Amino acid sequence: MKRRKIRPKRLFGAAITYLIILAVCFVFLFPILWLVLASFSKTGSIYSFRGFFPTEYSFDSFVKLFTDTEMYNYPRWFLNTLFIALMSSLFGTTLTILTAYCMSRFRFKSRKALMKTTLILGMFPSFMTMTAVYILMTQFNLINQRWGLILIYSAGAPMGYLTQKGFFDTISISIDEAARIDGATNFQIFMRITLPLAAPMIVYTLLSSFVWPWSDFILPKLLLKNKDLYTVAVGLMALDNTEFSRFAAGSVFIAVPIVIFYFALSKFLINGLSAGAVKQ
Amino acid sequence: MSKNLSAVVAHIAILLAVFIVCGLLSSVAAATDAGAAKFTGELEENATLRVLENDTAIKQGYLAELIAAFNEEYKDYHITVQDANMDQYTDLENDGPYGYGPDVLYQANDRIMRYPDGKHILPLPAEEFDCYDKISEKGWQAYRRTVAGQEYTFGIPVNVQGPLLYYRKDLLPENWESEWDDDGDGIPDMVEYWTDMYRFSKEIKEGGGGKKFGYMRSFLEPYFSVGYLYSYGGYTFGKGNTDPSDIGHSKGNAELGANIIRQLATVMDQRCIDDSVTTGAYAALASGEFFATITTPDVYTMFVDEMKAKGYTEDFIAENLVTTYIPKLPASGNLEDESQGFIECNMMGGVQGYAISSYTKYPNAALAFVKFATSYEMIKRRNELLGIVPARGDVADEVGGLSEVINNNLEAGNITVMPSIKENAQIWTPLQTLFQDLAKDAFRTGAEIKYATLDSMKEALQRVDQQIYDSIFTLQ
Repeated sequence: MKRRKIRPKRLFGAAITYLIILAVCFVFLFPILWLVLASFSKTGSIYSFRGFFPTEYSFDSFVKLFTDTEMYNYPRWFLNTLFIALMSSLFGTTLTILTAYCMSRFRFKSRKALMKTTLILGMFPSFMTMTAVYILMTQFNLINQRWGLILIYSAGAPMGYLTQKGFFDTISISIDEAARIDGATNFQIFMRITLPLAAPMIVYTLLSSFVWPWSDFILPKLLLKNKDLYTVAVGLMALDNTEFSRFAAGSVFIAVPIVIFYFALSKFLINGLSAGAVKQ
Repeated sequence: MSKNLSAVVAHIAILLAVFIVCGLLSSVAAATDAGAAKFTGELEENATLRVLENDTAIKQGYLAELIAAFNEEYKDYHITVQDANMDQYTDLENDGPYGYGPDVLYQANDRIMRYPDGKHILPLPAEEFDCYDKISEKGWQAYRRTVAGQEYTFGIPVNVQGPLLYYRKDLLPENWESEWDDDGDGIPDMVEYWTDMYRFSKEIKEGGGGKKFGYMRSFLEPYFSVGYLYSYGGYTFGKGNTDPSDIGHSKGNAELGANIIRQLATVMDQRCIDDSVTTGAYAALASGEFFATITTPDVYTMFVDEMKAKGYTEDFIAENLVTTYIPKLPASGNLEDESQGFIECNMMGGVQGYAISSYTKYPNAALAFVKFATSYEMIKRRNELLGIVPARGDVADEVGGLSEVINNNLEAGNITVMPSIKENAQIWTPLQTLFQDLAKDAFRTGAEIKYATLDSMKEALQRVDQQIYDSIFTLQ
């Protein structure tokens, strides 16, 4: 068999491409690598580093994170974050899927106007409404309540329904019509036909609705005053400035669940993303 | 006729204006009086007070002790105190009106004294406190405000914050007694005079290959840097820091203070420009990378912890980690010129204390708590556990040492207490930018140097004053 000869021009192009990829990877990965290594620093102080990296390593920061909880109760912050993110994800996904399904399957007056309005409203950053949200929450007595945050995240989630609508648009309407001829109601069609077909999209929505509350800082900082109710993001920001290694360990550990979720559900996630992007 | 009419209208307008102003003033005074009137002396039974303390007090167990002692003392009244469990910098202005703020708060005077304007804290009957005649006038002034011609006290001073020089005695040169003690007082000159500290730091930097330093401190924080301006005649606000229309960082010979900052930066490295060195100073002093730094008295334990982590024994630390008052400055404003003698270094300080929220449902119980927390026993215990400098003169005299030194310096005017007016919030950013630029200038070369002359520094200070003025008055 004759071996294919690689032309020098092509080789040079590939080398340049790989160099650029490596440089970009370095820019993105280096801060993460640095944070991970810093979290294992034995001295616990960023200022004892020689160059970029710690001189000695240990698990002390992680042990301290979960055992020294009198001032900084990381386990509790972690559970608060998990509770808020899970609940927001469940309610947010339900609302988003319902909104997307309605917009995809039903034709009603002002549908287009509503779609355009939600599209525009979704473009505004959430912190724009901070003052109004704070005052509203005080009126509903939802300050210092984890359910207050869940309400805001869940209510805001349907604003990003367009990807899900795009997915529902790809499911042929003739399936719905066939079911309807067989006597199925709209609810039955949604529950028994559309939802099973939309599994990748539901997983994608669950994950994306989970990430926002999991990493948000502004809203929890605004609404949670009691230290015991802090989320991880707020708690880490409240650490004393001498607690750098604890901060690094906390930041590394908070990434663990989300990384596990992403790897476990990556197949659904990719299917969901690509499915929502194609319109039949 | 029309002239008469105009005169009558003008008189009515003036009278109306006078009535409105008087009405406003009296309503403000009435509101403040109403605040004071909440203290009837009758303790509210079954009260639960939420107390906001600083993190160090919580960490070192002082708050738990204070709460336990108070709850025991007032158990017959069923008054319970608990940790507010909030961020130590919680802003009562935001959370108080909606009922989420603490009942009693412990903060610095510049923060507490932002609250009286919005009537967020209650005026206190200071003369009822047993510490009333034990605290210096300067301490009380930090919490006083005149409303409609009447003076009110809004906080009870607990702790005087003033900067101290921390240094490692074991890092002094072996021959310091013969070479670095010209006045023969048994104290190394480098911790007595900035000129000698500058010379010593220069020697260390040159001999250390950029890895060892003498004095090191970030200039980014105005709290620690503005004192150099004060020492040469500058001030923040006129009329004893009460008149925001008179901003004086450029007044007197303040440019000499700016020159000191620029010169000191030359014996450090570029870390003096940003804030990284502030928290790093604990480890750096412990490792011997720095010989000396300046910070507040309450972080002494941080240095001790870092030194212990490096394997030093408690005896060694007690012997060699030394704190002393800030060295004297050369009157010439030049760290290489001692010919004109020396002046005291006037640094910015603060007074931390207790205040009572206007939104508390239990003002009398809160007052009882503040009285208890500022009693002789509790302040002494606070000093023992946290190493604070007590504002109470009787405790300061008893514990002596630096508490006495700082209180004496406060009395002597060598510590200027942070202004207790809300306009003070506008001074930090412009000053921070200038100090950063001055420090950076020490590392510029050739045509890039911005502050080569005292005139250029004076102009920069004048620009800062104008920026502060604009930020206070532009939208008023």
